[in-house]
Amino acid sequence: MHSARRCWHRASRHPLQPACKHVRAQHAQAGSLNAITNTAAPSNAEEQGRLAGKNVAIKDNITTSSLPTTAASGILSTHVSPFEATVVRLLRQNGATITSTTNLDEFGMGSHSQHSVHGPVLSPFTRDGIPLSPGGSSGGSAVAVASGQCWTALGTDTGGSVRLPAAYVGVVGFKPSYGLLSRWGVIQYANSLDTVGVLARSVGDVREVFEVLNQHDARDPTSLPDSVRQRVTSSRSERQDHKGKALRIGIPLDYNITSLAPSIRKTYTTLLTTLQSQGHTLHPIHLPTTRLALSAYYVLAPAEASSNLAKYDGIRYGQRSTTATADASPAEKLPLYAATRAEGFGEEVKRRILLGAYTLMSEARDNYFLQAQKVRRLVQRDFDRVFAAPNPLLDAGGHDIGEGEREEDVVDVLLTPTAPTLPPTVEEVQRSSPVESYMNDVFTVPASLAGLPAASVPVALPEAVREGLGEGDVRSVGMQVIGQFGDDELVLRAAEVIEKLYH
Amino acid sequence: MLSRTAYSTPAILSTATALLSRTPRPCIAAKWLRSRGFTSAPPAEPIPLRKHLKDEAKRRKAEEKSGKKKSSVVDTRLEKWELTVGIEVHAELNTSRKLFSSAAATAEESNVLPNSRVALFDAAMPGSQPQFQPATLIPALRAALALGCTIQRTSRWDRKHYFHWDQPNGYQITQFYEPFAKDGVLRVGADDGVPAGDLNGADSLNIGIKQVQMEQDTAKTTQVPPSTYHIDLNRAGHPLIEIITLPHIHSPQTAAAVVRKIQGVLKSVDACVTGMELGGLRADVNVSVRQRGTHGTSSYSGVTGLGQRTEIKNLSSFAAVENAIVAERDRQIAVLEAGGVIEGETRGWTLGATETTLLRGKEGEVDYRYMPDADLPPLIIGSDLVRHLEETLPELPDKTTERVQAQYGLSKKDAMTIVSLDDGERLEFLEEVVDLLRARVGAQGDEASQLGRLAGNWVIHELGGLLTTTDMEWQNVAITAAELADLLSHLHTKQITSRTAKQLLRTIHELPPTVERPSVEQLIDEGGLRLRPLSEEGYVALAESVLSESPQVVAAVKEKGQKGKVMWLVGQMMRLGEEGTVEPQKAKEVMQKLLGI
Repeated sequence: MHSARRCWHRASRHPLQPACKHVRAQHAQAGSLNAITNTAAPSNAEEQGRLAGKNVAIKDNITTSSLPTTAASGILSTHVSPFEATVVRLLRQNGATITSTTNLDEFGMGSHSQHSVHGPVLSPFTRDGIPLSPGGSSGGSAVAVASGQCWTALGTDTGGSVRLPAAYVGVVGFKPSYGLLSRWGVIQYANSLDTVGVLARSVGDVREVFEVLNQHDARDPTSLPDSVRQRVTSSRSERQDHKGKALRIGIPLDYNITSLAPSIRKTYTTLLTTLQSQGHTLHPIHLPTTRLALSAYYVLAPAEASSNLAKYDGIRYGQRSTTATADASPAEKLPLYAATRAEGFGEEVKRRILLGAYTLMSEARDNYFLQAQKVRRLVQRDFDRVFAAPNPLLDAGGHDIGEGEREEDVVDVLLTPTAPTLPPTVEEVQRSSPVESYMNDVFTVPASLAGLPAASVPVALPEAVREGLGEGDVRSVGMQVIGQFGDDELVLRAAEVIEKLYH
Repeated sequence: MLSRTAYSTPAILSTATALLSRTPRPCIAAKWLRSRGFTSAPPAEPIPLRKHLKDEAKRRKAEEKSGKKKSSVVDTRLEKWELTVGIEVHAELNTSRKLFSSAAATAEESNVLPNSRVALFDAAMPGSQPQFQPATLIPALRAALALGCTIQRTSRWDRKHYFHWDQPNGYQITQFYEPFAKDGVLRVGADDGVPAGDLNGADSLNIGIKQVQMEQDTAKTTQVPPSTYHIDLNRAGHPLIEIITLPHIHSPQTAAAVVRKIQGVLKSVDACVTGMELGGLRADVNVSVRQRGTHGTSSYSGVTGLGQRTEIKNLSSFAAVENAIVAERDRQIAVLEAGGVIEGETRGWTLGATETTLLRGKEGEVDYRYMPDADLPPLIIGSDLVRHLEETLPELPDKTTERVQAQYGLSKKDAMTIVSLDDGERLEFLEEVVDLLRARVGAQGDEASQLGRLAGNWVIHELGGLLTTTDMEWQNVAITAAELADLLSHLHTKQITSRTAKQLLRTIHELPPTVERPSVEQLIDEGGLRLRPLSEEGYVALAESVLSESPQVVAAVKEKGQKGKVMWLVGQMMRLGEEGTVEPQKAKEVMQKLLGI
């Protein structure tokens, strides 16, 4: 129980973790948090390697050959994958033990981990006795890490699905640059955005896992080839080594939205002041397309989802409706597989499939899908304008940025809150409309659209804010560091700078 | 667009398909249908290819004759209405791997267990991803170059969505927005079957090729009556090319000629699976009519002013292309003349039908919701590869025909015939025979050309005739090029008579392939077949005995001047004379002399 001891040890002096008695309480109630979907039988094998003896949990939309892979969907509720994801294989090769699979929003579609065929995930934190949302969609992974059920966990992040739950339950969540970690074996939700991410209790632990997984995989056609990885690395080493130097931190003024909760704003400004006092410099910057990013995301992701989920017809694997209309010759006028898909998918998945199918229709495509693609490009351009590092994926001349457009005051990383509010209770989530739920992703989606590395780090709530909250409530909120494409190490280092402020 | 799409119910596949692979070569259409499983009964006695071609020619001639009467009715309408057709041809590429997985590509007929060549992606296993197989590009590029297309440096992959069990991912990966090849041209002329009326005095027509794109094939469905379907994913993901012509075609015959020509081009550059008649080809046609001299309000592929078009899907033979267009043209004209409106709908046509049938109306049209495939990077084709393939492109059929005419002195008709037969194997055989024959005889100049014609005649007609009468396929022919060259060199140097040569050919042809075969020389010597020329007196004696036996004929020639009957008398000389002694030319001279003509 190395990991539990470690958690205990750290919790006793760590202001971000719940107090000791809460940790004990969590362990008692860990099972009832519903973070785990399947647990592997204990193995006596002596593992060798960098991660020997470490227990890692895998989000249940990443295939494992030893456990079912359900994506928390009725349609895959009995699915056992015939192959294992590359990231899981790499963990095993480095000695890690895969202990369990973790609960999620069905196919990764959700911000609160409430839409699951296995039932909702609960945060270890409560407000007035009501459990809080653990965030989503990697809520199971976040809770499993927070409650000490594993050392670290893999999640997937399409629009914030690693960062948001990390922020809500007080752990570190890291979404690397798109294309660094293999997606072979990751069940697609929106494949141009899907990214494997790592959840852990410290940035150091995140880095350990990330370094093991960060390699090219020929089976994933979007995995960055070694040539590009080398180009990224060399372009980074050409720039001055940041180690130990002050960070130039960008403050996106466009993220100062009216719906930003006072508690978050207070924590954010306190953090900024502290960083400044440590010698880091703050630079207000503009990301004007940000306000369009969320809408663009909720056009693009469902469009890809409607395509990626078309394969679930109950024929080759998965659940198949037993009603008469599930027959190969369906009843008059009923589309093929309607019954199987109606029974197999949950409401949120159906909502997004319909949304995506609509925005791809020939009459709607130009107004929605193509517009959203353009916004995505603009969002990326916004980021390229403010980062000191050029985007290594663009031509040497920085093709997309017009002359003179670049901000004079360029920065190393951006710092924003991860979510605009404290986690809501699960009851509030139930009462809110889908669109209100989507609002949670407003700060995480831009980095996803641009494929940038981003980490959420827990930051202690200022005393004044904490006093206003009940005993079981959260003690930290997530702050998000975003870096230029390929600047994953810089993002982790900046996250560490913040992490250290609270030690 | 792929035509075996949603909502078309596959017909029943008979189990006879597998069992019939060793029977003689059936006609193209029947074979295609069987390989696709589009037949409900065990196919009738297979028709040998040659017979089929003959029958087709006969049928066409008969049609032309009767068509003249029928067309007098249609013609008045065709003076008023102009037909416009654009074609989409799908062809299976000749590759060893699937388009997006390393699973082996399966030729239709091979004896492979169902669902034994299926990679994770081919079964749309959750979490699997496509892996483009670059080698599949080679035959696709060859095809596009042969069709005169410009190869695009960058092309992209799109998903075309529809639900059907033969499409495991729920979408087909294709190249809708940015295909790899564009702007080609196909030249078709009278020899390809373009009617004179279409040519307007020109030698040939140029049909624009809008684009060529790569895409995935679907799985194969077999119905097990009454209501079970078996799905074989071996074909799922096999690479196809889709060739889209511009709406430059204005007659059904030209449309069929275009498809036939495309097939020939693809075959000649080895772009498609062995013998396209085995199942590599199907076509969709877009048909519209407008009153001559008017401008319609519809447009497609950049051509404006057309009438509203309909699409007829899944045509699997040349005759089907032609007949379906005739039927659809006549239907549209009838609708318009009755004051109706043509709807943009998808229609079907079955072999032997006289009318197209509605598959789905406009409101039932599938919206394919095209979107770029985010897993697949753009396809970048280097100019060095294109250049290399251009330089090594095999000869195209038109060029081959010209060459065969020039090298062997064949008529254009014979040249086209031999180029089109047996996947070019017959031509290779001829080339070998001529080379050997010329070496043996030591012929040059005119004589060499004479030998080419002689060999061509024997390979096409004599050997071809034997194949028909013995109901045998070319691939089973045992006679070797060396044997035929021996035979023809004996004939050419007058060591045997033509009749003897034909007999020998039949003898060798019928020898069981297992036995140790005697040489042509041995056969001639052992059979005592060598020409032993008669003396002048011998010829005279032979002729006189014939004349005395047939006084009426002699009278007819001498008194009525029926000179044609001389040849009958010569035939009698050949018959009476001992085997291998009478040369027809000499016999004719002697006979004419005796008759005094």
